[in-house]
Amino acid sequence: MSSILKITEKRPWLAWILFFATVVVVFLLGLLASSIVERRAEAAYVNVPRTKVNQFDPRNEVWGANYPREFQSYYGTADTTFRSKYNGNTMIDMLEEDPRLVVLWAGYGFSKDYNQGRGHYYAVTDMHKTLRTGAPKTPAEGPMPSTCMTCKSPDVPRLMNQKGVAAFYTGTWASLGSEVVNPIGCADCHDAETMNLAISRPALIEAFERLGKDITKASHQEMRSLVCAQCHVEYYFDKTVAEGANYLKFPWDNGFSAENMEEYYDNFEFSDWIHSMSKAPMLKAQHPGYEVYLTGIHAERGVSCADCHMPYKSEGGQKFTDHKMQSPLNNISSSCQVCHREEAATLMKNVYDRQDKIIENRDKLEEQLVRAHVEAQKAWELGATDAQMKDILTGIRHAQWRWDYAAASHGGSFHSPVEIGRVISTGITIVQETRIKLARLLASQGFNQEIPYPDISTKAKAQAFIGLDMKKLNEEKQDFLKNIVPQWMSTAKEREATYNNVFYNKE
Amino acid sequence: MMLKRILPPQKWRFPVMILIAVFTGLFLYTFYISKAHSYLSDKPEACTNCHIMSPQYATWSHSSHREVAHCNDCHVPHNNVFNKYYFKAKDGLRHSTIFTLRKEPQVIFILDEGAEVVHNNCIRCHSNLLKDPKLAASVSNHDVHMTDRKCWECHREVPHGKVNSLSSVPNARVPLPESPVPNWLRKFINNK
Repeated sequence: MSSILKITEKRPWLAWILFFATVVVVFLLGLLASSIVERRAEAAYVNVPRTKVNQFDPRNEVWGANYPREFQSYYGTADTTFRSKYNGNTMIDMLEEDPRLVVLWAGYGFSKDYNQGRGHYYAVTDMHKTLRTGAPKTPAEGPMPSTCMTCKSPDVPRLMNQKGVAAFYTGTWASLGSEVVNPIGCADCHDAETMNLAISRPALIEAFERLGKDITKASHQEMRSLVCAQCHVEYYFDKTVAEGANYLKFPWDNGFSAENMEEYYDNFEFSDWIHSMSKAPMLKAQHPGYEVYLTGIHAERGVSCADCHMPYKSEGGQKFTDHKMQSPLNNISSSCQVCHREEAATLMKNVYDRQDKIIENRDKLEEQLVRAHVEAQKAWELGATDAQMKDILTGIRHAQWRWDYAAASHGGSFHSPVEIGRVISTGITIVQETRIKLARLLASQGFNQEIPYPDISTKAKAQAFIGLDMKKLNEEKQDFLKNIVPQWMSTAKEREATYNNVFYNKE
Repeated sequence: MMLKRILPPQKWRFPVMILIAVFTGLFLYTFYISKAHSYLSDKPEACTNCHIMSPQYATWSHSSHREVAHCNDCHVPHNNVFNKYYFKAKDGLRHSTIFTLRKEPQVIFILDEGAEVVHNNCIRCHSNLLKDPKLAASVSNHDVHMTDRKCWECHREVPHGKVNSLSSVPNARVPLPESPVPNWLRKFINNK
């Protein structure tokens, strides 16, 4: 019972050893415990974003602080040095390249100015610069609706959240001049909390709802295309949804093909504008990139937009998504060659071959359309009646819609060469039928000879031919860029100075 | 008796009881914050108790194996349950020692012993595939290579990808340990 006592009484040093040994063990155990706590605490700094980001903060650089690699690669969209055979990221004056476009779009903004677009970085700048947006001196002047801003900036979700969707779609483009200033960026496609891909624009969600589909059920791979489909799609403005609003809508209710959408528009006699020469009620295809991609072999095999336009990239041993959205032709090794084991030059040729062959017939269709517009104009001059012209104008409308569906779906001739080839060939058939009707009509009016093809060899000649005063338009634009845009920017800067307080409650 | 010999004398009973309780408490605390109990489970989250396993977790959770196999399905032997826990304890103690001493390398490689275990587990699940005559006929020398190397010498990205340093997945969302402070205590502290 008292053995230890006895032992330690005899040998007091043993008691001391026992005491100090216990002290050491408890001390070490304490150290181990605190080391575990310390290493657990480290975890809070690993893989955890440094700053909190608000979903409605439109400033890309604020989001970028947490994700420097993605953000810096995003700035790559400022690059304008790559030009492929037909596209690229350089600004190309498409009206100069192909002056026939001026005639096809006579009476519509596109005949004034139409360029091959630059990267996302220039979304807002280039919108200010194009002649299509006019030169408004006051917000009331417009001339375009506020809806035109929908795809330009992460300021848009912020405004929609603030004002409501229908209210955002109501009003003029110029009224949002000082509000929409940050170019397309982080908040357009990402959830601030998880960085998951997220749909920020209501038009796509609503289109899916009308098709009976739930976009929240989309897989991650589908989202890698759907975030692009918020903007790179065919759309129109519906004036019947809300009073005074140009409500953005995708015409997908009957399907995605040129015929499906044509039928959709025909059903309620929608037209974007009346052609100034032929008086045909025209449709302008915007950019049915997503719709055309869906019909292609890459979509069929489950390849998403991001797989080729934003491939993975490795930097310092870290793999991440390259946020420089661009032509895969400028990045063949990371895009095409991930799957296709051919030389870059061969792959490039494969793309150009398809584009060359599509454009061959597209050019034919284009020339036929120019002739049809000129001939229809002549028929009106000779006193044709509405009844006589009705079928002819519908023919011109349908043929040019098909041409535009092919032409405006940038990359469509590669994304889906078979479908685009088919759409163009139906366009050629329709325009030929229409021109036969026109020839009969003209003959019945006593005019039975060829109408000379107009001299539209340059953009300037073509614009003079359709009666545009380019000098005035350009001067007004320069004045606008010099005097109005800087005002917008300084107002925006003042507002953004308050954002730290608005979004994060800090001065 | 031996036990009696080490029992403290009557008048020491109370302080010794307190001391042993302090000692036990400290031990239990260490057990709790190191989540030692979680290592008995098969949950992948147990492996990310140490944050240096984040790249392995992140790459696995983006791989097709995520749907069918967890860490333990590949990384511990499955020939019998004793061997499973023996190997797990052995490997786990080594890992925790290295982690505690901060001796982890920037790039973690599997040891030969672990590689053998993984290789056997590949075979365990994919044995039907390995005997598939179609595969033998269509992939040149698959039969030969099957026996003279580890699976991932050819299938190099399965399932963790090629590059796997501690810093290779800076933005990956991995389950990290939550605060050890229980909710009721947190509420109590915050209410004050």
